[in-house]
Amino acid sequence: MDALTDNALMLKVRDGDLDKMSLLFERYKKPLFGFFYHMNKDAELSEDLVQNVFLRILKYRYLFRGDGDFRTWMFHIARNVSHDHFRKNKIAAKDSLETWQDRLGSDENRSSGIQREEEMHLLSMAMDRLPEDKREILVLSKFQDKKYKEIGEILGCTEGAVKVKVFRALQELKEMYQKLETRY
Amino acid sequence: MERNEIKALLVKYNAGQASAEEVNILEKYIEAGVIDLSELQELQVIGEQIMQLEVPAPSLQLDDNFYQMLAQEKKSQLNSFSWKKFFAWPEMLPRLAFASVTLLAGLAIGYWVRPQASEGTANNGQIAELSQQVTDLKEMMMLSLLEKESATDRLKAVSLTQEMDQVSTKVTRALFETLNNDSNVNVRLAALDALKPYARESSVREELIRSIAKQESPLVQVELAEMMAALQEKSSVKELEKLLQQQNTAKEVKQKIRETIQVLI
Repeated sequence: MDALTDNALMLKVRDGDLDKMSLLFERYKKPLFGFFYHMNKDAELSEDLVQNVFLRILKYRYLFRGDGDFRTWMFHIARNVSHDHFRKNKIAAKDSLETWQDRLGSDENRSSGIQREEEMHLLSMAMDRLPEDKREILVLSKFQDKKYKEIGEILGCTEGAVKVKVFRALQELKEMYQKLETRY
Repeated sequence: MERNEIKALLVKYNAGQASAEEVNILEKYIEAGVIDLSELQELQVIGEQIMQLEVPAPSLQLDDNFYQMLAQEKKSQLNSFSWKKFFAWPEMLPRLAFASVTLLAGLAIGYWVRPQASEGTANNGQIAELSQQVTDLKEMMMLSLLEKESATDRLKAVSLTQEMDQVSTKVTRALFETLNNDSNVNVRLAALDALKPYARESSVREELIRSIAKQESPLVQVELAEMMAALQEKSSVKELEKLLQQQNTAKEVKQKIRETIQVLI
């Protein structure tokens, strides 16, 4: 089974066997898409960003040494892709904040039904309002099913620091949620 | 802080009554790993809740785009030449092997060619030896031909010396023998002609002067006299005068000798 581990596949890609890239793509397209979707709530954009990640993996494949974990390396690239996108679209993001209220209004009408659905909707909105770094750490820890140590490797900090970051992010999310709850 | 106090702090936090200062203390415990995040009940609930947030499935467009990109990359990989690939071990190994084999072959050829070069000088030596042998053979043939009764053979013998670039004293002695004693005038003349190139040697010149008195044929006498004039050989005058005094010397010859003496004096 060793031949099918992420690292073994990526090493083959690095040495020119590009077909192995499709196995890695099938394995990680959904987790990566989820990561981006939680960050920007835009399915089409998320698909583009997933594509960007694999493009960079192909482009910089010779930099993969195989001594670290492939997933850590891949999420490193994914974070860079995400940050690059936000940096490039700072002005556009501001615009979307203005239209946000409209989106909120229409969504509100749609979700007026079952209570649970409303709760989830509020939670989603609270997530959207979190600062980017806090949203990112929650996405990494909760959706990508990552260990704190692994996240530490991606972010370049200690396991303890990751725990504190998750704690603060969750706390802010809770506060945001409660604020939204009283408003609607 | 003791375990009980930590528990109290947790209870306070979960009840939503912890102060900012207490939250700071809590963070320190979380960082140190004393408190697990799962112990913070309320956060745990919201954490579990966000895990239930739905994510739409990526469309087929994503797959299409990816496989298109992969095909493109494979195409450009085939076309592109990269130095990194050129120096990669699997590529490098046969190249290095080929280079070293060529080098060794070159050295081997060089080694085999070298002794032949020194053999070349040996060949030159052999050639010199052979040509020496040929010269010796010619000399032997000439000497034996001179003994022949036929005048033609003896003429042939004399003309053989003209083919030699360097003759031994043995040959010149034989030529003088012919010049002085041969019964045929033509052979004598031929011998004189053959001796001309060696007249620079003093021994040859002395012998030529001595030969003047021994000649009876007017043709040879005239030839010798002319030769002495050409060589500017003053010591030959005495011998030439002897010829003048001899009664059987032809008139024309005496005339020629007088002219020669005039030139020499």
